[in-house]
Amino acid sequence: MRAHAFWKGVRDAVPLLGGYIPVGMSFGLIAVQAGFNVWIAVVMSLVIYAGASQFLFVAMLTSGAPLWLVIVMTLLINARHVVYGPNIAPWLTSSRWWPWMMHGLTDQIFALAHVRLPQMPEQERLGWFAGAALLAWISWIAGTAFGGIAGAELTQRWPMLESVLPFALPAMFLVLLTPRFTSRLWAVTLITTMLVAAILALAGIKNSAIPLGALCGALLFYVLKSTTRFEEVKYG
Amino acid sequence: MDNATGWAIAAAAVGTLLLRVFPLIWMRHHLQQKSDVNAVENIPAWLSVLGPTMIAALLGVSLVPGHINASTVCATVVGSVATLLVWRWQKSLGWPIFSGVVVYGLVVYLGAYFL
Repeated sequence: MRAHAFWKGVRDAVPLLGGYIPVGMSFGLIAVQAGFNVWIAVVMSLVIYAGASQFLFVAMLTSGAPLWLVIVMTLLINARHVVYGPNIAPWLTSSRWWPWMMHGLTDQIFALAHVRLPQMPEQERLGWFAGAALLAWISWIAGTAFGGIAGAELTQRWPMLESVLPFALPAMFLVLLTPRFTSRLWAVTLITTMLVAAILALAGIKNSAIPLGALCGALLFYVLKSTTRFEEVKYG
Repeated sequence: MDNATGWAIAAAAVGTLLLRVFPLIWMRHHLQQKSDVNAVENIPAWLSVLGPTMIAALLGVSLVPGHINASTVCATVVGSVATLLVWRWQKSLGWPIFSGVVVYGLVVYLGAYFL
């Protein structure tokens, strides 16, 4: 693993801190308020490491839902992750470390890796991924610990931080997605996907919005592709 | 923590890890069977379409503010435009995101007073 590639990954993942730390803090705070010990919240962030499903896990346990249902719902929310690994597989080397690295394959790391891995030499990819995934993981765990220990006081003192820093996530997705607008076909597909996902999120089904929006977008891509009108026009 | 909660956390953790690892192992096996040279061309076409649409869906969901009001909606639009403008100028990752967050924060801050 190359040290400079590792640090390049760390540098690329720095914008994630703006989203991971405040949301991790919210999770730590909510878990403690729900009656969990801080260290249990930290262990959950350490081993489950999937934001939305952790919130659901705590909420369902607190409401007295049966454990099997809590586990099934957690895994259903995380089911969208099944398409992430295969999508970046062509750019992964033969190292045996890769399957273990997949613990760090969150939504944001996937989006980052999907764009960055193809741009770098093969020998740098493992180090880069390790650096980016490790920083994101540590920030999520640290955010949870902070939130559990001092979340209430911190959000009371700086209420703006909690509402402003998470904008780093849409800003990052925007930067990663913009170069994909290479043709009219992709532009229509991606804009429609965004709108469908946003509308579903506004309708209150935020967890299903990502896979459903992506599926609608993929279907639209194939429908449009079958009409010759959309095949010709390409941007710069 | 009682034992049952501990087992539930362990099951959710192992299940989530398997959801992330198994599809990768399957795809690596699939690519090895096809060819080692043109791995990118050998991934199923639907999967290469689903990748960018997943990122677009993530963007769509994350653009919806946690607390929706005139200030956060306005900040989302202005912050996104600022991010895109700085990206056009810099073509990098860090500065456009940093600028977007700063502009978003400013609009939310000003909105708290004027809107």
